[in-house]
Amino acid sequence: MIRWFLRGVTRRRLTTRYPRTEEPAPPGFRARALLDPNAINPRDAWRTAQVCLPKALTLDHQNRLRLDAGRCIGCGLCVEAVEDGALAIDAGYELASRSRRRLIIGDVQEDDISPEVLGGPFRRSLHIRHVDAGSDGAVEQEIAALLNPYYDMQRLGLFFTASPRHADVLLVTGPVTKPMEEPLRRAYEAMPEPRVVVAAGTDACSGGIWTEPEVLGGVDRVLPVDVYIPGDPPTPIALLHGLLLASGRAREVSAPSWDADAAGPAERAGAGAA
Amino acid sequence: MIAFEDRTVEAGALATELKQLEGRLMMLFATSPTEGPHGLRALVRAGDVLVNVRAPVPGSTYPAVTPMVPAAHWFEREIHDLHGITPEGHPRLEPLVHHAPEQREVEIPEEEDVRLAHRGAERLAGPGVFVIPYGPVRSGVFESAQFLVQTGGEDVAYCAQRLFFKRRGAERRICEVPLDLAVLVAERVSGTSSVAHALAFSHAVESLAQTDVAPRAQAIRRILAELERLYNHLEVTVRECEDASLSVGQAQFAALKERLHRLAGALVGNRYLRGAVVPGGTRIDLDTTALDLITTTMTDWERDWERTLAVLLRTDSFLDRLVSAGPLPEEDARDFACVGPVARASGIDVDTRRDLAYDGYPAFEVARHSDGDAMARMEVRFHEVDASLEVIREAIGTLAPGPTRVATGPFVRSCALGAAESARGETLYWLEAADDTALRFCKLRAASFMNFGIFNRLFDSQVLTDFSFIEHSLGLSPAGCDA
Repeated sequence: MIRWFLRGVTRRRLTTRYPRTEEPAPPGFRARALLDPNAINPRDAWRTAQVCLPKALTLDHQNRLRLDAGRCIGCGLCVEAVEDGALAIDAGYELASRSRRRLIIGDVQEDDISPEVLGGPFRRSLHIRHVDAGSDGAVEQEIAALLNPYYDMQRLGLFFTASPRHADVLLVTGPVTKPMEEPLRRAYEAMPEPRVVVAAGTDACSGGIWTEPEVLGGVDRVLPVDVYIPGDPPTPIALLHGLLLASGRAREVSAPSWDADAAGPAERAGAGAA
Repeated sequence: MIAFEDRTVEAGALATELKQLEGRLMMLFATSPTEGPHGLRALVRAGDVLVNVRAPVPGSTYPAVTPMVPAAHWFEREIHDLHGITPEGHPRLEPLVHHAPEQREVEIPEEEDVRLAHRGAERLAGPGVFVIPYGPVRSGVFESAQFLVQTGGEDVAYCAQRLFFKRRGAERRICEVPLDLAVLVAERVSGTSSVAHALAFSHAVESLAQTDVAPRAQAIRRILAELERLYNHLEVTVRECEDASLSVGQAQFAALKERLHRLAGALVGNRYLRGAVVPGGTRIDLDTTALDLITTTMTDWERDWERTLAVLLRTDSFLDRLVSAGPLPEEDARDFACVGPVARASGIDVDTRRDLAYDGYPAFEVARHSDGDAMARMEVRFHEVDASLEVIREAIGTLAPGPTRVATGPFVRSCALGAAESARGETLYWLEAADDTALRFCKLRAASFMNFGIFNRLFDSQVLTDFSFIEHSLGLSPAGCDA
């Protein structure tokens, strides 16, 4: 055991200081697509929507593109399909949102879910119960990575718990397959109130690339979702951001805007598809 | 291109035919019912030859293959569930894919008593024996699967595995989406084996279109595939350390794993290497900066890995839990056609990278072990980590300038098999073309489908606390199995 002790104490500090300091993604990281809704002419728009497998890019009634970040898997094929720069890849990590509708770029309707934090009883420490409702298995590894020395989520008062009975947060992955609907509902009902449901991953947010009849198409088809964390899979920092959002210790980060300044999303976005 | 020998037999003669081949059953499935009568198709590896046996089923029943070829057990239950064809005489024809979600009792198959008698053992029975239904929602961060563990308190009498809670319909999706996008579905069947699934699918498409992949793309594919193998083997090591309450070891190996994911994220923009492999080559290229990044990262990584592993292999509290846990005799591994490190740890000489050579893999020695226990499976993985590092070095050294992607033309063949060795073992895609650009039928078989089949056979004289060691030593992916 002394050898393990020496291995442990002789390493330098690896742990990120997130959220106190920013944790940037590597250049070229494909978190999600970004869209300038006015830049694409209708024929290109139609062609671009065709290359989007999860139908994150769709046309509205005016034949304008709209992008649903809750469906985007960050494959980058749309960026390759248009050459006029109306689409880019966002390399950001902080994608989580309290509202499903706010994940949609180009949607004009207002929603009434406060971007304000949940706060209250969740402000200090959170106990998290994870349920896999049909994920691809990578999200589970990213969630487990939160315990590794790089992220060490316990320093932020975040803990996994074995029983839904003392969980504050239900962290759900996967598009909700039919056989998992009932176990998911039961886990939720076993939790004491107040409780928070977090959908982790693009497939949990919307079903992603999966369709009926095998899957129901997202956690919010079964349970009320409080925080959506898109990502395919969501990175550990994206998960931390979402969990801190649930506890009222982080804020939503809006998608980089196109017309705010000349640099636009390029500051955060990589050089397009990797 | 994977070439095979075609044979057609009557459904009644299928079992005898497969038995006589004396090979390893790779796949057995019913082809799509839109083309008249159902047809069964079996792929068998017999010596160096791949045999493709077809058997039309005129009615809705045929004599089961399982009594003669045990490896067919799950395949035939799957055929029964999905196509309504009944394999008559199957020893255990209960639902596999379409199961009733509630089950609290274990039905122990007759074959189990026969098997124990064969070993001179007796099954634990009596009024104190009860069943623990473990899952599908389990304690900790795990994928959904259910294990019905029958125990008298400590000794495990029997353990039944129930999968397919996570079936998302990947085979259907692959056929219904445009061909250019289908590889994105394959990548998400088992999210931790994205490269292997993308490779197996791409190999099948390339075979349909008779496309040759450029050497540069092959080398990049090898680098990515081995990087994926590394982080999957690390994952198993992390899990085993966690089970042995070896916190420092767990943290150290988890940190090593994280470094690989960060490298993956920097190389292809996704921590699980998605969006890199496509039919016809790769979507990404690795420039000199990227290659330097790999070389410097992996040099440091290898040094830290070797030092940490050396400490682990001298930690008795870890070794004691793994040695003799979950023994898989060579006979069972062969009968049930296990694949990957699980098979190799039981002495089976099988590795898709060599057997169905692809993407220019250089000749390498397949790591094997004869003990067949959890420790043997770990040791095979440790050897494979070294082999993977060597393959990555070799691929970087031989990376020739050239294109990374060629267009796959129209299909010139009607059906093809694609294969790749994931960290878990042989991954197969069988594709049939509808016309020259679209797919009509897809059958995929992940390594975990084969290795989950023997789960219930690993608990001879094991106790309840061995459970997680045994489960994690198999390194299974429920997502891949369920598809």
